[in-house]
Amino acid sequence: MKRRDFLGGVSAAGVASALSAPALLTVAGRAAAQGNDIPVGLLFSLTGAVAVVESTLHDAALMAIEEINAAGGVHGMQLRPIIEDPASDPATYADRARRLMIRDKCVSVFGSYTSASRQAVLPVTEQRNNLYWYPTLYEGRECSRNVMYGGAVPNQQQDELIPWAIENFGPRFYMIGNNYVYPKEENNYCKTLLAKYGGEVVHEEYVPLGHSDFSSVINRIRAEGPNVIFATVVGDSDVAFARQYHAAELDPAKMPVISLTRSEVEVKAIGGDAAAGHFSSAPYFMGTQTPENERFVESYKARFGGDQVTHFVSEAAYFQVYQFKAALEKLDPANITPELIRDAAVGITLNAPQGEVLIDENLHTHLWPKIGQWQSNGQAEVVVQSSNRVAPLPYAAYEGQRCTGQGLVEG
Amino acid sequence: MTSRLFYDLVALVIFALVIVLGVPAIMGFDGFELNTFARYLALAIVSLALALSWGGAGLLNLGQAATFGMGSYAMAMHLKLKASGDGLPDFMGWNNVPELPLLWVPFQSLAFTLLAGLMIPAFVGGLIAIFMFRARIAGVFVAIITLAFLVAFQLVVIEQQGITGGQNGLTGLAPLSLPGWTVDTYGVGFYYLVAGCLMVAITLGIFITHSKFGLILKAIREDADRTRFFGYNVANYQTVIFCISAALAGWAGMLYTLVLEFASPTYMSVSFSLAIVIWCAVGGRESVLAAAIGAILVNMLEGRLSDVFVEGWNLILGVIFVLVVMFMPRGLHGLIGSGWQIITGKAGKPGMRPVDTGAAALPAKSAQER
Amino acid sequence: MDAILNQIFAGLSMASILLMIALGLAIIYGAMGVINLAHGEFVMLGAYAAWAIQTYTGMSIIMALPFVFVAVALVGWLIEKIIVQRLYHRPLDTILATWGIGIILQQTVRLLVGAESRFVKGPEFLSGNTQIGGLIMSNYRLFVIFFSLAVLAGTWALMTRTEFGMKLRAVIQNRQISECYGIEAKNIYSVTFAYGAGLAGIAGALITPLFSTIPTMGTGLVVDAFLVVIVGGLGSILGAASAAVLIGEATALFSMLFNDTLGRIAVLAGIIVLIRFRPRGLFPSNTRR
Repeated sequence: MKRRDFLGGVSAAGVASALSAPALLTVAGRAAAQGNDIPVGLLFSLTGAVAVVESTLHDAALMAIEEINAAGGVHGMQLRPIIEDPASDPATYADRARRLMIRDKCVSVFGSYTSASRQAVLPVTEQRNNLYWYPTLYEGRECSRNVMYGGAVPNQQQDELIPWAIENFGPRFYMIGNNYVYPKEENNYCKTLLAKYGGEVVHEEYVPLGHSDFSSVINRIRAEGPNVIFATVVGDSDVAFARQYHAAELDPAKMPVISLTRSEVEVKAIGGDAAAGHFSSAPYFMGTQTPENERFVESYKARFGGDQVTHFVSEAAYFQVYQFKAALEKLDPANITPELIRDAAVGITLNAPQGEVLIDENLHTHLWPKIGQWQSNGQAEVVVQSSNRVAPLPYAAYEGQRCTGQGLVEG
Repeated sequence: MTSRLFYDLVALVIFALVIVLGVPAIMGFDGFELNTFARYLALAIVSLALALSWGGAGLLNLGQAATFGMGSYAMAMHLKLKASGDGLPDFMGWNNVPELPLLWVPFQSLAFTLLAGLMIPAFVGGLIAIFMFRARIAGVFVAIITLAFLVAFQLVVIEQQGITGGQNGLTGLAPLSLPGWTVDTYGVGFYYLVAGCLMVAITLGIFITHSKFGLILKAIREDADRTRFFGYNVANYQTVIFCISAALAGWAGMLYTLVLEFASPTYMSVSFSLAIVIWCAVGGRESVLAAAIGAILVNMLEGRLSDVFVEGWNLILGVIFVLVVMFMPRGLHGLIGSGWQIITGKAGKPGMRPVDTGAAALPAKSAQER
Repeated sequence: MDAILNQIFAGLSMASILLMIALGLAIIYGAMGVINLAHGEFVMLGAYAAWAIQTYTGMSIIMALPFVFVAVALVGWLIEKIIVQRLYHRPLDTILATWGIGIILQQTVRLLVGAESRFVKGPEFLSGNTQIGGLIMSNYRLFVIFFSLAVLAGTWALMTRTEFGMKLRAVIQNRQISECYGIEAKNIYSVTFAYGAGLAGIAGALITPLFSTIPTMGTGLVVDAFLVVIVGGLGSILGAASAAVLIGEATALFSMLFNDTLGRIAVLAGIIVLIRFRPRGLFPSNTRR
């Protein structure tokens, strides 16, 4: 039986083989690296709480793989996607990553959205010297030689945003985020910028992940009367926050929410009316006008439905597969290892939907920061477009530490 | 030696042979498969720990994951310190923690860590037990209190990022270094370490179940009041078994950290805690060996299903749980038991009780009738 | 002062949502001792039913409420007939079975509708705020508060003023004797379970304009709802209402003093202590079970 059809063909034989005890013990379907295809892992949650976002990343990455295969593959070899569902649970991420990297001998794995899941995958990735392509914006302060970081780090999202926000709305910032390392780290960086540009923090608070009742928070916001709500609330917490903020009739023109995490996915669930007028900082919005983006959005909608949206993480999930392909093309087809792919990937430039992106020697990506204002049709209008591509500085908030091609350098 | 103890020990020996010789042979001594199986064995320990308190004494502890997590974090703290060398663990820098918190200092020592991984869960389990059982809390209220404790405890762990690493947990750990042996989690040696721990835990569990102590617990499960009238201090017995169960869970947690190479607050989630209950129920809550086998089987099944049905594996698992609860109330252990009765024609053998009516489970009844 | 008033309102609003979710659970638990961990999934089904009705017929969620109630009640009725009915003599096992049912419902919705978060539009006429001095109240939240009170009153009337309620109370008191008097206990249980599920469905539909509608939305709700039921007392409807207000206000108070995380921890600790000293809840009903 063919392992893992995309829809997990529920055949009676499959059920029988899965349930009979001997089949449970056998190591069926071991995927050895064959001569004519290249196994790559896709490790995005299709079930559980994070699936809201990760399933779109899965779709984008899978679409890129299919496009590459349809165009003849790499060196005449097809990419063979091996799909796992880690069910939004870190322990399952660790388990499935082992499967992909050790058992299935994938030369690269694309995956995950949350910091916790990336951290769960890191031990096996580093130990086996594999390569993990991580498309998500994240908090920085990491410098693994086995992870390709496709998303923005704090300096790429905030350097232009903070002075712009102070100038346009005022210096008083209210920080609200979910309680984990990403919001804390972004806020740490934001505070250094606020000190530099004369802003201040009126209140800083963190709610548990998945928190859904923001009435206390909104009362406090009303009482404090800040100029800017600096939000690092993620996923369904952000959806609830935005809807309750709107229901409380707080005016985005006077007190806008400026979010580092809100994308088209969240806005679709929030509803255009509630999201309209607020801002997000990201390297990509669905309305970005480049030929690459038009193609990307068009084929994404054709493949997954006209009501689907692309966003700044799914864009990275998409272009990272093309970066992977570009790296493979520089290699000898007889000798493909994760390490060689990584070395070949450094310095690659690629016309991504957001513009031309470059892989830094520290394995992070040079991106094009933008500030978008949400409209009632669920799309963002770009109000500030960075004039140049911004280099990733994962240790920007920490003097004396730099992430380089040799790993972390002190001093 | 009673005949039932004899049967249990025979079953244990067969089980041990399969785990120690059979599994590695089938797996071809392959690192990845052994690592995966070692994970199942570690989970088997926490499942049997639950069987001791749930099946053995009728105390459904929905907070088992909390004590599991304590063991897991104890081990992770030690390994994190080893990985950080002389410096502070990296995440403390992120949280602007200036120096090593006092709580962390003793975990430099391996001996302390191993002891703490057993004793801290036992101590906390004991405190909760004393708190509950002195007030004669039982049945569904035990489940609710332990559940509420679990939720609160997980929130505290996530909230105290500077000490616990918060949502991300403790990652970037060093391999465990025992005197003369650095543990390779993909090696056969590590597999046997976990398998050995499981065997010791099962043996301990079997002897507890068949001891006089276990018998009194059984009496308490059936009717706490009557046992009290016989002069036994019910709360003390319940507290002791709760402590033992918590210590075993902590032990399993330590091994789990070694297998996965990180500790995460999701080890203390409600869904993980309920998963433990389900493994225990599938295997059979009345036998520690059956509960351990239940954990191994369910996890194997999950691994296999997720391999075959990427989209639907969770759904199939849910259906199987419901079917098991409906048609196998006493788990595989009960199924085998009744099969054995049919073969030998000895229906109504003493000790083969009819299905647990849940009378012990819902003491609201007796409490209100009083 | 205004801050405190606003926070009291926030607490009431949380309490009304908690009550809507917990009421169905209280009835199911009170009547048959079933610990229904799939209750959160009934809430989720209600939210999705509201979404489906709004998307395909354009109906406002307020108009859709009766349909949502019927649809989720029907699902509850089927589940009771097929699965739960066989487990009444093993109450602790219902924890496991209903947990499994929860997984099944969640995964089915995900497979049929998808994992993405769905948008449900709130009713236009309830947008905006009502302001009294410094007290600012969202109209929609006010509506939910009054609606939950109406549902509470309706449920109370159903239990105490109708023939069905009388039969149900008889069955709760003593199933065997009630059956001797010709009451079909089985049917009473099915209808009660369906009613509880339907209430959860309405709760789900009502929270959609405030929360995010995803397949996993119910998982977190059920623990809170269950704590409300336990604190309130076995099967006591008024107890559940008071417990909801108590927990909602306590959460609001603690989150004003500290933050939302510590607020939740403090409330959980309080609940543990409360159960320890009053295991039968604030308002134990006097029924024999």
